[in-house]
Amino acid sequence: MSTLLEVSGVSVTFDGFRAINNLSIQIAEPELRAVIGPNGAGKTTFMDIITGKTKPDEGRVIFGEKSVNLLGMSESQIAQAGIGRKFQKPTVFEAQTVRENIVMALKNPRGPFDVLFKRRADAREERVREISDEIGLTEALDQTSGALSHGQKQWLEIGMLLAQDPRLLLVDEPAAGMTPQEREHTTDLLVRAARTRAVVVVEHDMEFVRRLNCKVTVLHEGSVLAEGSLDHVTKNKDVVDVYLGR
Amino acid sequence: MSNSFIGRNPSILWFLLALSVFTIGVTLLSEATGTGLISTSFLKTLGKTLCLCLVAIAMDVVWGYCGILSLGHFAFFGIGGYAIGMWLMYARTEGIVTGSLSGSALPPTPQEVTDAIGTQIFGVVGSSEFPALWAFSHSLPLQLLAVVAVPGLLALVFGWLAFRSRVTGVYLSILTQAMTLALSLYFFQNDTGLRGNNGLSGLQNIPGLEAVPQATISLWFFWASAVALALGYILFAWVVSGKLGSVIRAIRDNEARVRFLGYHVESYKLFVFTLTAMVAGIAGALYYPQAGIINPAEIAPIASIYLAVWVAIGGRGRLYGAVIGAALVSLLSSWFTGGSAPPINLGFYVVKWTEWWLVLLGLSFVAVTLFFPKGIGGIFDYFERKRLPDRQGDYGPDKGALRQQEGVE
Ligand SMILES: Nc1ncnc2c1ncn2[C@@H]1O[C@H](COP(=O)(O)OP(=O)(O)O)[C@@H](O)[C@H]1O
Ligand SMILES: [Mg+2]
Repeated sequence: MSTLLEVSGVSVTFDGFRAINNLSIQIAEPELRAVIGPNGAGKTTFMDIITGKTKPDEGRVIFGEKSVNLLGMSESQIAQAGIGRKFQKPTVFEAQTVRENIVMALKNPRGPFDVLFKRRADAREERVREISDEIGLTEALDQTSGALSHGQKQWLEIGMLLAQDPRLLLVDEPAAGMTPQEREHTTDLLVRAARTRAVVVVEHDMEFVRRLNCKVTVLHEGSVLAEGSLDHVTKNKDVVDVYLGR
Repeated sequence: MSNSFIGRNPSILWFLLALSVFTIGVTLLSEATGTGLISTSFLKTLGKTLCLCLVAIAMDVVWGYCGILSLGHFAFFGIGGYAIGMWLMYARTEGIVTGSLSGSALPPTPQEVTDAIGTQIFGVVGSSEFPALWAFSHSLPLQLLAVVAVPGLLALVFGWLAFRSRVTGVYLSILTQAMTLALSLYFFQNDTGLRGNNGLSGLQNIPGLEAVPQATISLWFFWASAVALALGYILFAWVVSGKLGSVIRAIRDNEARVRFLGYHVESYKLFVFTLTAMVAGIAGALYYPQAGIINPAEIAPIASIYLAVWVAIGGRGRLYGAVIGAALVSLLSSWFTGGSAPPINLGFYVVKWTEWWLVLLGLSFVAVTLFFPKGIGGIFDYFERKRLPDRQGDYGPDKGALRQQEGVE
């Protein structure tokens, strides 16, 4: 296990409000990590910083063995470097079919001319099938994704994440709106994905986190409150006070 | 490849079929080959309409597919017209001048010929010097190159500046409109060297073809316009199909999300903006020889706004919709404003269409926007029975499922 992502001393202020406060986290490869914390703790903002959506006021974000500085890169460069993201609110392209969504995400050259001229090679059926089987949407491949249920949209987005074949997956509240069976399937999927890469999961639901069976980081008011196994952090007095006690 | 490409896009075949039938029908009825049921001036109107359809599909790609409401594409169209118009004017004037100078005792020097051409062309703006812009006007190949290169370069530079600063939506539209306004003001100035508000004229006279009657030349241009429209349709259908089309539509719907998939959104916008500007230039180069005259008013922002109105009425996001909108509205427009539409006598007031047409057009635009956002092209969805469940933005399959309100952060 080597360190893949290193976030150190990062702070973000929104209109005078410190959403992230001197935050430091390291993620190894491969690793499965759960990030928990009350609403507004800064979990989504943490992902925004890594993926280039939000630029921090200070701190460093370093990625990969070449130690590239993510803060100097655009969103698309960061994604191409191997960081994929699933949003809290599922954001698939609803006017397009499930297949089109997956093909767009598949790892391939991303320039306009590559995409224009290599359209066939880019849409290899086996790869699309592999992904759609994994997320249980093979039947729905040619359906408009706007017509999917909430849980299916969540899966489609996870499928798009897998299609990108990233080294680091950031998954924001994947189980929201899913039935218990769907949740279980999602846990399996994430655990399997984390065998070969780094996966960071933000989740509210404790049962879900327990099933992930991995190291947990508790965020509170923009910094790390506790880190360790789920049992370890749930015994921590600070954590009980700010989060679990409610 | 092209086989299955057309197979997957059957609307291309239907479109080409309709266009061929139309072209053959018009040819048979024209003065040059047939009964003359279609007058030469109406033939020119039809040919011009085909060029407008071509610029409309370009507009549809940039707006309907990529989500950039450009208020500058008609300016690119006009620039294409100017580019070809400069050669037409130069070459024809050269012919006239050499003809009249050949009567003199001494053969004229090249300098005398150039001066005489300059006086002829720029006399209206009180000048006889050739401006720098006309440096290549003697050469047809170079001016033809300018038809695509000038709009293309302009779009490339403007788009690069605008897109990289991530200006989107209404602000981007305003920016494109400002560019268009600046361009038209530039063209209006006498100093620019494009004959100010006189514009370029006599463009229907093709140098070297003085012996060919207008009826025949008009038919040739009509054919050329039909071919250009067909090729443009195939090109854009190819561009907006497959993965590139997928990415472009995704950019329209949620460009931030596309960035997180690793696509450099700005390059895609620039590609679409520039390609469509070049096609607009070609459409303009075919249009203005049929119109005979071009002046800077053609480049003014209002023309680009009309273009957007045509596409909206025809139906954004489908190429044939743009064709329908452009053809219908521009033909109706020339019918109403040409004075052929019978006035309506309301007793207390007589509605004269030359005055009221714009009001009617404006009302239709509002009505389409409010009640038929898919435009006229939306009618075809009923035939295709491709009506989809409208669950976009709302999540759950049933009442107990998570609704949209709960899903937002
Ligand atoms: N773009 C923004 N502008 C202003 N405040 C923001 C913005 N994004 C997040 N915040 C604030 O930062 C805090 C952390 O938000 P977030 O990261 O979404 O929390 P979490 O995902 O842990 O629930 C919240 O108080 C939120 O209101
Ligand atoms: Mg959040």
